[in-house]
Amino acid sequence: MRRAKIRISRFNPDIDKTPYWQEYQVPWEKGDTVLGALIYIYEELDPTLAFRFGCRYKKCGLCAVEVEGRPRLACLAGLKKEMEVSPLRNLPIARDLAIDRGFFYHRLAELKLYIPEQESMKWPAVIKEGIQHKRLIGCVECLSCLSACPHYDYRDTTFGGPYLFVKLAQLHFDSRDKIDRRFQARTLGIERCKGCRYWGRCVPCTSGIPIFKDAIRPLS
Amino acid sequence: MRGEAFQDNFLGKVKKAILDWKINGFVLFNRLMETRDFDVICIGAGGAGVAAAVSAARAGARVAVLSKEPIGYGDTRISKGVMAYAGLYPGDSPGEFYRDLIQGGEHLNDGDLARTVSQETALAVLTIEGFGHLFCRDEGGRITSEVLSPAGGHRFPRGLISPSEGVSMGNALRAAIARAGIAVFEETMAVKLYSEEGRIHGLLALHLLSGEAVFFRAASVVLATGGAGWLYYPHTDCLQSATGDGFSLAYEAGAELIDMEQVQFIPFGITHPRPFIGLLCGEPATAGPFGRLLNNKGEVILEGINTMTRAQVARAICMEVERGGGTRHQGLILDLSPNLAHPKGLKAREKMKEIGIFEPVREAYGERAYDWEEPWDVSPTAHYHMGGIRADSEGRTGIKGLYAAGQAQGGIHGGNRLGSVSLAEVFIFGRRAGRSAAQSALGGVRGKINRVESLITADVQELKSLYGSRGSYRPIKLKRRLQELMWKKVGVLREEGKLKEALEELGELEALSRDLSISPIKRLNREVQDALELRMMLNVAKAMALSALERKESRGAHVRLDFPQRDDFGWRRNILVWKEGMEMKVRAEEVRN
Ligand SMILES: Cc1cc2nc3c(=O)[nH]c(=O)nc-3n(C[C@H](O)[C@H](O)[C@H](O)COP(=O)(O)OP(=O)(O)OC[C@H]3O[C@@H](n4cnc5c(N)ncnc54)[C@H](O)[C@@H]3O)c2cc1C
Ligand code: FES
Repeated sequence: MRRAKIRISRFNPDIDKTPYWQEYQVPWEKGDTVLGALIYIYEELDPTLAFRFGCRYKKCGLCAVEVEGRPRLACLAGLKKEMEVSPLRNLPIARDLAIDRGFFYHRLAELKLYIPEQESMKWPAVIKEGIQHKRLIGCVECLSCLSACPHYDYRDTTFGGPYLFVKLAQLHFDSRDKIDRRFQARTLGIERCKGCRYWGRCVPCTSGIPIFKDAIRPLS
Repeated sequence: MRGEAFQDNFLGKVKKAILDWKINGFVLFNRLMETRDFDVICIGAGGAGVAAAVSAARAGARVAVLSKEPIGYGDTRISKGVMAYAGLYPGDSPGEFYRDLIQGGEHLNDGDLARTVSQETALAVLTIEGFGHLFCRDEGGRITSEVLSPAGGHRFPRGLISPSEGVSMGNALRAAIARAGIAVFEETMAVKLYSEEGRIHGLLALHLLSGEAVFFRAASVVLATGGAGWLYYPHTDCLQSATGDGFSLAYEAGAELIDMEQVQFIPFGITHPRPFIGLLCGEPATAGPFGRLLNNKGEVILEGINTMTRAQVARAICMEVERGGGTRHQGLILDLSPNLAHPKGLKAREKMKEIGIFEPVREAYGERAYDWEEPWDVSPTAHYHMGGIRADSEGRTGIKGLYAAGQAQGGIHGGNRLGSVSLAEVFIFGRRAGRSAAQSALGGVRGKINRVESLITADVQELKSLYGSRGSYRPIKLKRRLQELMWKKVGVLREEGKLKEALEELGELEALSRDLSISPIKRLNREVQDALELRMMLNVAKAMALSALERKESRGAHVRLDFPQRDDFGWRRNILVWKEGMEMKVRAEEVRN
């Protein structure tokens, strides 16, 4: 059977000062994915490997990691003969490949990144949904865009990063929302995007959202 | 002093050694763990858990939600987001919908629950749109009969489609929790409920990220833990957290489980390559009006698929595979290409693409298969549990203060769930359960904690001892054995011999599950989670096998090769499982109309 060599970034914040690489060899068949390899390693080679997944098919966004330095959904990324897998960058590491996603709940709540309660409105309401909203709402919140963004750092709350700009744009294009989201984008440092080397295209999105066209530009 | 007197982020202060805690005038010196106090705790933060939490909070209760994943995940978030709305299509009405539910459920449904669902779908739609979700509308921005999609077993189109499937529902759920100011415990797994004198008073949970135990004191607990599809991994399309925890928690606390043999295998799942085995690629309606199932000799096994129920189609596929007509991947061939020659067929393809139900086909079988030009290899995959915790239309179980809602609750769908009804039902019963849980909690009666204090302490110690335990078996390996066993012996087709073997092997696995080897890492230790889930899965698997053995007929999703007929004289009955002493008991009872 063919085998693939996979190097994984390991890190336990309780013990390790810095991340280190560890290499594993896994069986490799046509159609195999990075997620499949991680599951194999956990089951057969190393009980201590930490990583996340949920749905096995690009819906939960929990499995996002960096493959060869590029953010990907592990459940879709094809396995190659040799590869390196590391956690998403710019985000707090829970352990190994798993990001600590906990702070997002509080961040979204504190920034009120949702529309007002609609239940008391007359229903069924007539609501026209624009094409941008339809596209933007497909964000599975895998946080890959934050990993690729050259300016984002979770410790710096003055810059929202592409993920929060997509959330803001979802609301900006939602006729039910009443808050000035462009103003909010400015308070979250969207201006900084102008000096970015990705200005005009922004980073790639695993759900195929054109982040610049649908979020950064309309909010700027 | 109450729970919220602590700061919100408990990760930072988990090392706290001694807590002086006053409960009912009783001082609990708790050296082991953090204690929290609420009126209502919802375990699970998918559609049902959030609907329950929000309605409990609106009723004035102090509420917390716990979830193994982030808030708003669960199968709700990875669902297709198609939700039943009855009575909009010309000729449709709650009465017609009720008839479809009972017909589809093959008369096993609890009448009261089915009636409630049939009457309240509009309320469910309003609830989730109220939270902020948006269903697809027509060009004028209206919800009309035009936008409704069909699903197998429904005589009228009833499905509202979501532009981004379940994801935007999940976002709306998170927003609803934030707006209502509900306390949130993400990545926190409930492991045991405590009751005394038939009344719930609290639960023990593990914060997975830190490895710390937390004791929650609560007057009411709502179980909204979803299903158990993961008992059949990889033959399931469910989220990996769907390990049936709620069934086991309720069972251990003394509540009854109903019709646990009724598991929905959705007929069309991917069969290869291996990372994609079990992923959803369709339900009967996906076949369009002209799709057909072929065996390995190219013979037509089934036509007219789109009007059948999921149970009927899944059964037909497995019967043919059992007869030797299966493909290399133990599936059948689904040929959708005849649809392409008819306007109706083409319309069906576009509708199904809009829903997104067969998206994984693209990755697994390629672009031409995605366009219905090439056939698919399909096999049924575990999707939903019709059985579950027995609770009434207010979510009340037989244990005071314990409620169930959503997929965790059993009896609503009888022997088969019709597509799109789950998402409606989770909001209907979530709301109801939350409201009654709050009313009961605010009514002032609280369970006593006095006598079980030492029990809790022992449980916490046991939980802690899992870390670094040096036994012989890895929990994941036992989990995999259980999953394989369930697929092979308690899968789509069942018979007495295999079910008995399954029960025996489950007994063996249970013995092995007391001899575990687990790494000592505290932070995000997947092995500990596996160990805790394994225990729950063993209970659930046993309840399923025992119920399947008891039902000596074929009905709904339950197919017995040794009793292939439906027996309406002997078996219009529900099967109930409960715990007596250390034993699992089973009995059959007339269906409640
Ligand atoms: C791929 C797929 C597509 C689907 N599409 C549709 C559809 O289009 N229409 C439809 O009607 N139905 C659909 N369904 C079914 C439907 O999505 C589910 O039945 C429904 O979402 C269940 O909601 P719930 O709130 O009961 O549970 P879930 O949404 O599954 O939530 C369960 C919650 O419980 C938590 N939990 C579990 N155990 C514990 C524990 N021990 N401690 C703490 N928390 C715990 C989980 O973390 C999660 O938060 C689909 C299902 C799947 C798998
Ligand atoms: S596992 Fe859910 S997106 Fe990859």
